[in-house]
Amino acid sequence: MRVEVLLFGPAGAAVNSDRVAVEVAECEPGVCTVREALQALQAQHPALRSAIGTIERARLAVNHQYASAETKIRPGDEVALIALVGGG
Amino acid sequence: MPGTVVSIIVDGPLTPEALAEALLPHRADLERVHATGNVGATLRFDGIVRRMERDTKMSGEERALSHLEYQTYDPMAERELRSLAASVCDRFGLLSIIALHSRGLVAVGEVSFVLEVASAHRAEAIEAMPAFIDRLKQDVPIWKRAVWDDSPPATRVKR
Repeated sequence: MRVEVLLFGPAGAAVNSDRVAVEVAECEPGVCTVREALQALQAQHPALRSAIGTIERARLAVNHQYASAETKIRPGDEVALIALVGGG
Repeated sequence: MPGTVVSIIVDGPLTPEALAEALLPHRADLERVHATGNVGATLRFDGIVRRMERDTKMSGEERALSHLEYQTYDPMAERELRSLAASVCDRFGLLSIIALHSRGLVAVGEVSFVLEVASAHRAEAIEAMPAFIDRLKQDVPIWKRAVWDDSPPATRVKR
């Protein structure tokens, strides 16, 4: 399935865009997990690797909530890479 | 009784005027906290954009800034800021906590972050400050981008 991931800060700067699309293997019809989406991001967008860091420490938000690795992503969900925040 | 929690993301620098305007809807609640006579300590932290910053794209050498530009992921940033403020308020037993953060451009010398806490005793106010700021930098989806000042040093505006 195709998942669009919103990017911010250094991640957006790394690919010069506010979003990227990834093709992710489905764990069930029309559904994938956050872990699979992160792995696909790393594999399909090497420029994002330093912003993502390790899969264990990387975070995706799904519909504006921090998501665990096992959280399911469904069509229409808003997915964002929350990497290397640094306000203040 | 839970403490009073105020958290706001404000466009632009946190000038005294911007702070007053943002806090206006909460003034009565905040005044009530102080009117109880239970407040024994208040502490305020202002985060200010400083001139010199390390440029990671230039081997980490220091370079002059013009502005920082803060990007927020809305509305998640506002919700995470509020959730963090409420959790620190609860954990340290604060009577009130006010957290404001800028969005957009903030020039050198201007304030981009304000944290003010009130508590019965000094210890909880002092301990709450670093606890909040450490988690702000981990959990609240706000990013800053350096806007460099490439003008000659003698012509830079002093603030």
